Amino acid sequence: MAYEMIVLTNMLIAILFAQSLNLITGFCGQVSLGHAAFLGIGAYTSAMLTKAGWPLAATFIPAMVVAGMIGVIVGAASLRVRHDFLAITTMGVSFLFTGIIRKQDMLGGEMGIAGIPAAYGGRVGLLLMTLCLTILFITIMIYVKRSWMGFVFESIAEDEDTAGVLGIDVRRFKLFAFVLGTAGAGLAGALYAHQVRFIGPDSFGFVESVTVLSMVIVGGIGSIWGVTIAAALLSVMPQFFQVIDDYKLLVYGLLLFFAMRFLPDGLGGLAKRFRQKRNPDRSPERSQA
Amino acid sequence: MLAIDILIQGFIQGSIYALIALGLTLVYGLLRILHVAHASLFTLGGYLGVLITNATGSLFLALILAMIVVGFVGMLSYRILYRPLLSQPPLIALIASIGIFIASEEIFRIIFGPFSISYVAAPLQNQIEILPGISMSEARIMVVLLAFVLLLGVNWLSRRTRLGIATRATVVDPDMAMSSGVNVDVIRYSIFFIGSAFAAAAGVMVSLLNNLVEPTMGAVPSYKALAIIVLGGLGSVRGALIASLLLGIIETFGTIYLDDLLDRDSIAFAFLILVLMIRPKGIFSKG
Amino acid sequence: MFKKIIFPIIAGAMSLASYAGIASAENIKIGFNVPLTGFAAADGQSALHGAELAVEQVNANGGVNGSMLELVVYDDQASPKEAAPLAIKMITQDEVVAGVSGSYSGATRAAATIFSENSVPYISAYAIHPDITRAGDYVFRTSFMGEVQGRAGAKLIGEMLGKKRVTMITLNNDFGISLANGFKDKAGDFGIEIISEYEYSIKDREFGAIVSKIKSENPDAIYASGYFFTAGPLVRQLRAAGINQPVVGQEGYDSQKFIEIAGDASEGVMITTSLDRDSSNPVTQSFIEGFSNKAGYPADMVGASGHTAILVLADALSRAGNTDKASLRDAIASTNLEASTGQISFNALGEVQKDVQVQVVRDGNWHHHSVVSDAVLLAPPAE
Repeated sequence: MAYEMIVLTNMLIAILFAQSLNLITGFCGQVSLGHAAFLGIGAYTSAMLTKAGWPLAATFIPAMVVAGMIGVIVGAASLRVRHDFLAITTMGVSFLFTGIIRKQDMLGGEMGIAGIPAAYGGRVGLLLMTLCLTILFITIMIYVKRSWMGFVFESIAEDEDTAGVLGIDVRRFKLFAFVLGTAGAGLAGALYAHQVRFIGPDSFGFVESVTVLSMVIVGGIGSIWGVTIAAALLSVMPQFFQVIDDYKLLVYGLLLFFAMRFLPDGLGGLAKRFRQKRNPDRSPERSQA
Repeated sequence: MLAIDILIQGFIQGSIYALIALGLTLVYGLLRILHVAHASLFTLGGYLGVLITNATGSLFLALILAMIVVGFVGMLSYRILYRPLLSQPPLIALIASIGIFIASEEIFRIIFGPFSISYVAAPLQNQIEILPGISMSEARIMVVLLAFVLLLGVNWLSRRTRLGIATRATVVDPDMAMSSGVNVDVIRYSIFFIGSAFAAAAGVMVSLLNNLVEPTMGAVPSYKALAIIVLGGLGSVRGALIASLLLGIIETFGTIYLDDLLDRDSIAFAFLILVLMIRPKGIFSKG
Repeated sequence: MFKKIIFPIIAGAMSLASYAGIASAENIKIGFNVPLTGFAAADGQSALHGAELAVEQVNANGGVNGSMLELVVYDDQASPKEAAPLAIKMITQDEVVAGVSGSYSGATRAAATIFSENSVPYISAYAIHPDITRAGDYVFRTSFMGEVQGRAGAKLIGEMLGKKRVTMITLNNDFGISLANGFKDKAGDFGIEIISEYEYSIKDREFGAIVSKIKSENPDAIYASGYFFTAGPLVRQLRAAGINQPVVGQEGYDSQKFIEIAGDASEGVMITTSLDRDSSNPVTQSFIEGFSNKAGYPADMVGASGHTAILVLADALSRAGNTDKASLRDAIASTNLEASTGQISFNALGEVQKDVQVQVVRDGNWHHHSVVSDAVLLAPPAE
């Protein structure tokens, strides 16, 4: 049971983390190649506080606030650069983050932070906490998507300039997406730090950012359920692929390629097409969300 | 004296970046795709360079063969990877490209083993005094020469040949070019051939400078080259060239004078972010 | 090409089958987490070869207490995130009697926490992070901590070679930084003046700027941390620029690959390490021979470390006489064993206490140079 529990916790953290990016990239159309930096900011904030004696639950808010604050700064940058330029700027943010951590002795520098205390209630406690927070975050996502905000985001994702002409305050909504998304990543980071109980600069590098972005894309940009399933599958894959050992990463890479080649709109798109086939009269106006 | 020496080192580093980034920026100009798997072709070039040189004893032959073979692999990558995804948002092609890049690192490891491979007798290692007190190995000089020869070649191609003119037309407006009788697909295959051959040349040169190739040697180019073409203003050849040299020089000085604050990558990206905040479409963007 | 892809598949399937083949009720299972894919795969492969060799040797001699040893191998990609669940899996599902890490520091540190919590002994073969053994009483390390090796480097340069003006080139990761800390800590005691220090990242292979700067400073010796794939190009570039002062490295260089990459420039480079190629110790000799037969390339430090960790465990198992984890832990703590990396015993924290070997490149091979034997200088922290 202990093994299933730790894998499940990993999976839930991955879902939470992927959903937080889904908010920025999926809902709002802003591509980020540096989302792992915010996972790291949350993880470091939370780890420093619990090592200073705080209970884990009390560090959630600070982790979200610190990540969200830096998220605002990056969000402000996203107002200036667009599309591929934004993708590369966010990638730069992720390199800058690990670069700065490496040189900060206060944050453990290259040595990272070891001896992070266990969560209250041990593995069970952490699993339950992660489960509740992930469900809560997904609920908020569903609410945002169904509310008038969801339509605003969609229009920005589709065409920023038109949205602006229609009188939508594009800047404010983009910033809002960045704050909520990066705060979510910070929360995931707090949980991550107490799951692995060792964090270092290499835990939050470019590879991690690419991994989470591929979860969102494979899930189907903007699709809450698609991204949930994709994050769940992709996060446990290294564990289940232990059987094929030497070919694990090869299969992972090819899988990403084939997913894009044959399912370019992701799992979410697949489900939508499937529904349309069964109820052709209910076919929605738009083919892609 | 020291400053000149370091400046030259930066210039060499910049020339390597230029060789890698050039192919990438050509591809971007044409397809608007961030072609991460370009770094896989760089690694393949490195491996071919070492293996062919070790087998035949001729670096020149290895360089030419590596460029040709990798050029064709590049065309294949366009056919398999990007052509079917052209109608999709560019993000889809980016993730597919990352997938291929991850898989290729593993294929190199499985075929050639996890350890590095070196030249049996590394060629071009003699030192030549280029300025009083400053000497360089022939390999380093060759990197710079090669970068310039290939760049001049591209310049000539794009200005003086039908292919070049058609390419420029396609970059500006693919539909218009097509209706004027340009076979857009032929252009794209050609550009992939040229860009990939350049990546192979860069791979051979880097393998020569370090005297090793390893499965992960594409890791740094995979993201650094993206930063360079963005810095230069996406799709601009001249911009990519200047950005490469600039970044090479800044990193080289940075590793000496800023190493207490930031590592090499962070210096590069701090500079990138700074530039983009001032000029959101790169240094050489129009307008 | 097709053959080259198919062959490893078959070989992989066969090696899986062979694990399954030995598996029977009375085997003693030892967990082994090791990076077999991703960036650390080269070291992972050496560590695995070394560990498998040790298991074969022990089993060929009748095993331990009448049972055969069996390695339960998992690929952790050198990632803490992957190592944590694997540690739990080894303990709860495979029911290993003990674990060995053939992995890097992050993954080892994450797994050590879990082994320690479950009171299952765990030995780090070559990860150097100082906090690994602090995870708890059940965690041991059979290799040197970075600090200890850094101190040995200071003695080697300052006292044994008599060089005083030293430039440091430090690899920017936990390995390089802890080496640098140990070196700086004791440099003053041996009259060393550190005139400059440069840092580089594990991804760097181009050191043009650092080389130019060092040339202008003209130090007496260079203390450079790194792995063979960074140190090879570094030493090559230093020598090409006409910097002929002694270069002292550490166990990260310890591979034939270093000599292959650096070529003639490697001649005379000295390292502090734990494997003595010219050792007269029969365990070391049989390891060196067995390793190159098994792996197809010459023995290296990582392979020797994997080998040593398994031998320490086998020795403790036979002294404990059973597989009870608490008595196994006590048996490991009281180890006094001649292994392939020297005479092994542990201090109160579980850190190894042994002499540091100095090897030098001569005629394209690693050879014995000297031994740093100074129990006070080399004492690892005890808490």
